[in-house]
Amino acid sequence: MKTNIAKNFVFVSGIVFALSSETNAGFTSAGALFNVVTSAGSGAPTNAVTQISPYAWGNTGGWTGSQASVSWANDIQGWNPTTGAGFSNANIVIRNNTASAQDFLVTVSVLGTATGPFVAAGSLGGQYVNGSGSLGSLTSTGPLWTAGIDGTTVNSQLNSALFFAQPYQVVSLGNFNFSNLQIASSVSNNFSIQYSLRLSAGGEASFTSAFSFQSVPGPASIALIGLMPFVRSRRRK
Amino acid sequence: MKNKIEVAVALLSLGITAIESQAAITPPSFHFQVGSAGAASGGEACNFGSATQASATEWFFQGACAGLSGTSMSWSYMVDQDPFITGTFSLTNDTALAKSYVVDFSLPISPAISQSTVSGQVSGTLTDSNGSGSASLTSTSGGAVYTALADGLFVQSLMTNTNQSVASQFGTVSFSGGSFGQGAPLAGPSINSTIGIHFAFTLSAGDSVSFSSIFVANSVPAPGALAMALLAGAVGRRGRRRFE
Repeated sequence: MKTNIAKNFVFVSGIVFALSSETNAGFTSAGALFNVVTSAGSGAPTNAVTQISPYAWGNTGGWTGSQASVSWANDIQGWNPTTGAGFSNANIVIRNNTASAQDFLVTVSVLGTATGPFVAAGSLGGQYVNGSGSLGSLTSTGPLWTAGIDGTTVNSQLNSALFFAQPYQVVSLGNFNFSNLQIASSVSNNFSIQYSLRLSAGGEASFTSAFSFQSVPGPASIALIGLMPFVRSRRRK
Repeated sequence: MKNKIEVAVALLSLGITAIESQAAITPPSFHFQVGSAGAASGGEACNFGSATQASATEWFFQGACAGLSGTSMSWSYMVDQDPFITGTFSLTNDTALAKSYVVDFSLPISPAISQSTVSGQVSGTLTDSNGSGSASLTSTSGGAVYTALADGLFVQSLMTNTNQSVASQFGTVSFSGGSFGQGAPLAGPSINSTIGIHFAFTLSAGDSVSFSSIFVANSVPAPGALAMALLAGAVGRRGRRRFE
């Protein structure tokens, strides 16, 4: 589907990028980067950033075309230098108000760098609403959801998705979770969540998802931690 | 005299057409309100985002509200004054404590319905957004999470005594909140002014919930109109036979 969009369809919306003065352990941006590519029109998305905690930001915004839209809210992303953990969480609603099926590719990225290896976890849940008077469908030709680091997929969910809904009905897409995923590489540019799907006329898909990773202490650090009690007991003696 | 009357009738019909076309481009007064701990925020949905006409009778509302301290919310709803409400809202409790929320959507209808059939459905997801390792969504005081309303009065409710939870860091759970009248619509009340959906739930600190829901009301033809329709069919068939 990604190839189809790239080859066959009129681009594209654009990019929203919010900068902050804070610099956290290599993550130079406090804002998320949103990219919307759709066959249903073009235009620039908007986004507003709110700082929720020293290391987390909320994002509210979207892209509204004449007959289709993508909106997000409560997308929280951050990097905590104390715990060495980064995460991105997105609530996204994608709507097709046109009279034909449309493709959507939505990417939420957090820019920055972090040194691996990491242990990653994440999840995806969603609903499909058929707001039309005829049988509707939500499909994907590849993975509907991917979590990536520097453009390389580290986890994907709902491969070749195929959901049908009767007129004016809601279908649960289920929930998918993963944890303890070992990632050997470092983050040199970004980590991201991406949605790729096709919605029939009058369809709406909503997703909540999360992708997080945590630094794994290296062997030297573990050895140091292991030595601490020994050093302390020697001092007490 | 006859000419004058004809001109007056023509002008009147032009005026009616103008009023009708003006009405067609004005979005319906679709309201939302989100409340927690005695504080509330909301109003005309189009003042918190955008309203787009999707067809002759359907309007699409999209927006966001961060007016309630420590809470962010967004919605995407398709409405028709004929009437139905369908769409999704997402809400995140950014505070450090669990909060009870009440979220209302209300739509004026036109025309009024003397006897209705109704159907509805709700489904959702709950996510541990702050990575604390847990998230919970419960009915407030054991009540229903979803209540369909007509003229502000109870029609049907779903997700009574709900208790959904997530037990893994950044985990998500999807839930089907059930439905009523799907396939075979239920008999509903007469509806004069509005239909609405009322949500009431308690959400854990730092976590997100998303609800997709539908509420549809249809007019049941009055017995007289039904008889007329049946008679029209019979008359039509007799006419065809005579012609053959």
